[in-house]
Amino acid sequence: MKQNFKNLLKSNFNWVTLFALVLFVGFVDPNFWRPSSMLILLGDIVPLFVMALGLTFAIYIGGIDLSAQSMANMITVIASVYLASLGMWIVPACILTGAVLGACSGIITTRFLVPSFISTLAIGMVCYSLAQWLSGNRALYMNAEKRDALFGWMLSSTGIIPNTIFVGAGVFIFVLVIERKFVLGRRLKAVGSAELAAAASGIKVARVKVLAFALSGGLAALAGVIFSIKLSGGAPSIANGFLLPAIVAVLVGGTPLTGGVGGVVNTLVGTMIVAVIRASMLYLEVDATHQQMVFGLILITAIVFTIDRSKLTIVK
Amino acid sequence: MLEFKNISKEFGPVKALSNINFRVEKGEIVGLVGENGAGKSTLMKIIFGAYQADSGTILIDGRQTRFTSPRDAMANGIGMVFQEQSLIGNLSIMENIFLGREHEFRKFGLLNFQKMESAAQQQLSKVGLKVDPRMQTFDLSFAQRQLVELAKVLTLEERTSRDLVILLDEPTSVLSEDEVELLFNLVNNLRSRAAFIFVSHRLDEVISISDRVYVLKDGEMVDEVSAQDADPAKIQSKMVGREIESGYYKQDERETYNEKETILSLKNVSKENSFESVSFDLHQSEVVCLVGTEGSGREAVLRCIFGMNNPDKGQIIYFQNDKIKIRSPFEAVNNGVGYMPRERKIEGIFASMNIAENITSSQMEKYSRYGFLHLTSEQDLARDWVDRLSIKTPSISTDCGRLSGGNQQKVVLAKWRSSGAELMMLDHPTRGLDIGAKQDVYSMIREMSASGVGLIVVPDTFEEAIGLAHTIFVMKDGACVKRFAPDKERVMPIDLVAAMT
Amino acid sequence: MLRNLKLQSVMPIIVLVVLVVFFTFLNPNFFSLRNFARIAIAASPFLMVTIGVTFIIIMGSIDLSMEGTVSLTAIAFCFCFLFFGGTLGSGGWIAIPVALLAGAIYGALNGFIHAKLLIPSFMSSLAMGFVGIGAAVLLTGGGIVRIDDDIFRSLLTYRIQGFPLMVYVAILFLIFGIIIQKFTVLGRNLYAIGGAEDLAAASGVPVLRTRVLAFSLAGFYYSLAGVLQVAKLGQAESVTGANLMFLSITAAVVGGVALWGAIGGVFNALIGVLIVAVINNGMVVIGLPDYLQDGVLGVLVIAAVILSTNRSNIRFVK
Repeated sequence: MKQNFKNLLKSNFNWVTLFALVLFVGFVDPNFWRPSSMLILLGDIVPLFVMALGLTFAIYIGGIDLSAQSMANMITVIASVYLASLGMWIVPACILTGAVLGACSGIITTRFLVPSFISTLAIGMVCYSLAQWLSGNRALYMNAEKRDALFGWMLSSTGIIPNTIFVGAGVFIFVLVIERKFVLGRRLKAVGSAELAAAASGIKVARVKVLAFALSGGLAALAGVIFSIKLSGGAPSIANGFLLPAIVAVLVGGTPLTGGVGGVVNTLVGTMIVAVIRASMLYLEVDATHQQMVFGLILITAIVFTIDRSKLTIVK
Repeated sequence: MLEFKNISKEFGPVKALSNINFRVEKGEIVGLVGENGAGKSTLMKIIFGAYQADSGTILIDGRQTRFTSPRDAMANGIGMVFQEQSLIGNLSIMENIFLGREHEFRKFGLLNFQKMESAAQQQLSKVGLKVDPRMQTFDLSFAQRQLVELAKVLTLEERTSRDLVILLDEPTSVLSEDEVELLFNLVNNLRSRAAFIFVSHRLDEVISISDRVYVLKDGEMVDEVSAQDADPAKIQSKMVGREIESGYYKQDERETYNEKETILSLKNVSKENSFESVSFDLHQSEVVCLVGTEGSGREAVLRCIFGMNNPDKGQIIYFQNDKIKIRSPFEAVNNGVGYMPRERKIEGIFASMNIAENITSSQMEKYSRYGFLHLTSEQDLARDWVDRLSIKTPSISTDCGRLSGGNQQKVVLAKWRSSGAELMMLDHPTRGLDIGAKQDVYSMIREMSASGVGLIVVPDTFEEAIGLAHTIFVMKDGACVKRFAPDKERVMPIDLVAAMT
Repeated sequence: MLRNLKLQSVMPIIVLVVLVVFFTFLNPNFFSLRNFARIAIAASPFLMVTIGVTFIIIMGSIDLSMEGTVSLTAIAFCFCFLFFGGTLGSGGWIAIPVALLAGAIYGALNGFIHAKLLIPSFMSSLAMGFVGIGAAVLLTGGGIVRIDDDIFRSLLTYRIQGFPLMVYVAILFLIFGIIIQKFTVLGRNLYAIGGAEDLAAASGVPVLRTRVLAFSLAGFYYSLAGVLQVAKLGQAESVTGANLMFLSITAAVVGGVALWGAIGGVFNALIGVLIVAVINNGMVVIGLPDYLQDGVLGVLVIAAVILSTNRSNIRFVK
């Protein structure tokens, strides 16, 4: 009986952590437990959540996407510049851009055998360059009317639920369906959990990996779009401070760096944990850059506890 | 001088070694032979300290000792020249010889390369190798590298006061005849400095160089002969000599195969450093077994047929259709070729996926529409096969990692059966399975053969080959050397051993 | 394969020469002592970082913590300097060994977390980098720390043969790095571990110890970069180390250090740094906006890795 309980605890470690944190923060400030404040918190974290969902795919197949942040940055600039001319089409255009660039990272990683952290870092640099160039290296503002007309609904709430949550939920359901119900999702699972067996089953491993990076890029771009709508503008460094918590969300949620287990539901829990941590730091009045430090420490701890050592024969 | 008494070693329920008695005298060359799985590598690992025996004693010059690590063994004068070489390619020869011991050449914290070079020259002269010690190791030939390894092991002379015992693990498998002769001369000349334990599958070589030969079978030392009295045939019979229970391999279920339908044809297929000029045909319903030692190239041939590797020379014709070209597993699967790899846990089964997901992993298109998976038909498929093959599982959604080895193999076979593979390759399919599971696998092989599938199997034992196969090809050192037809003639394991050694 | 390697080590030098010729052709002002001095000044701190990360890459690992370490040690240096009176003469010189020690310790911590806790180096060092930046902000409260000592600034202002002192300091430590690489057991062990770690371990190479030492050495070089940056700019802040991660890895790879380890060395780092510095400077001299640089470098590093990758060596790239 005790063993069963322990096992249950272990496999749902992320939910337990979330629950414990919510309790803890609530004790410190009971206002936190009000549904409206929790919902606002969740609404705020939607862009980060979308980025983390994308990262989940890259990490799941055993890689990493360090371009996510720069991608989102670049997209905020692109969205600001082209909203007026493209209107609604800005959304698919940006997502496509992100997916194409992500696929580039994937191709460089699989075809040319460049480790993913370098290929995504380099692509990220290219994005950063483009962002700086397009924006003239300053902050831009969106065409306010267009933005209100097309996306104003996102900024308001339905009852006490901020509308961004619906956007987040929509994206979540989309990727969940891909993960569970689509051949692509199954192939990702195969490649992530046993790459050699996947190859021996005739799965085109390289192609699956490229698609994983494309998904990651596309979702990072979508995160950028959502973020720029919220801010009604964009700038080349505006989304700095996203990458680290996004990675933490994926890892703490239960998708380890080695990949193969976890998935988007885990990232949902992980993102909520990150949201609560952020809230607690706000209450403790820790400022943004210090928060980075805290997340850095959490990251190390999360990796230590989640990494699947059996998959790593030699740690380099 | 070095004596092992009553050494035993178990890995879980498997008894790798039982009551081994073994000794080496100063200046002796002792040979060790045995078929795959007899326990040679376990015994070697115990000798050089990588494993510890569960029971028994090790005596050096009459005094009891224990090695807890290779370093311990080295401190006692025991060194090993590995089959898969242990030199680091991008370092120079001298750096490799003194790897881990550079502090002997340190002055004020900096390395004195002159000193290292002359010390290296000294070591190299012991083995008669005349090369520049500053050369990078990957520029050397295999034979030269082996000599450097030997020179590295001989540095033990300067490190310990004990007499040296050097283990040579399959040293000749990659050498030419001339190089083998040179090596043997060298080893003979080095008798004054060290005793040697020579492990090899090449019986004639072992007999020619050794003073005494030990024969290992099923973890036991079954014979010890002096080289003069050694009779290869007798040794071979000691190496095998197991009773084949009739019916164990379901021989009565072995039907004749269709000699007219060739489904696979290999013509002079070669792959550098793996195998050379392999040619054979496989027919519908035929079971072919490839027999040979580790390193004879059997597994590599299978992987080439499956498209995981590509041969350098030669032709592989599938289903008599030379338009079919298989250069990747994807193409193989599409053309009805299946492969059950040796490393089940890493390459065969998806441990964190359930039965349905495993079975459909090579044929997802069939169970999906427009990319959308049809989960219910997957589940039906899984249930069907669990039934058909009596796969024991707590539920249909259990992760396959939790199943026993035998049941995992069944899942893998279900995968290929359900996809309608017509050419199946099985690499050590019964490895690590208990008797009941093994029999299940044999039944499945019979069933597949009866339904027209052509199979190529790399078996675990000779008996398995003789029991299962219609045709046996013996591979030795990368070439196909002999063909047997157990369905038509009486083949004894010893015939196979003779061809292999 | 050896021939390939020989070409590989000569290739970066050829690239460097071609670049210099190219930029001079477009604008003859490029080829002047003043401009070379400018390049050398820009390159000096960055060379230190690249040498540091090269040691790690040779071993087969990666270090992404340089931005945090450089900022942190630069700030530590400034605080210490000011604490001791704000001038070299009044005891401020102590700040130099203090900063270097801080870098070495931080690097050792970085290496320890990676090697002992078995976290892949890119993750642990990335996290440590973030921690470093965060600590830097913590110490400065987000502001800037200034140094006003003329003697210290003479590293930048005092020139010999047209090149400021800091360039000579950098050259000194370049030589030091080469000595470590070629003539010490540590250097040898880096290559052994990078070449075949399991074999090295089996031969008695102390892998854990070597790893920690290597990261500590890298940290030492990062702190050198930090001190030189302060000399150059006269101040330190949390963004002192900005962009160095990408630049230094690019430089190492472009210079011929193989990402998978065991190939290349400090000299390659030097060539790579010069190539990147020449490109940066050249782009300005011919009038290109500076934000294009990152994009160009991104393309460059990918090209460099692709061209240098010996595919038969690699079994798994994640």
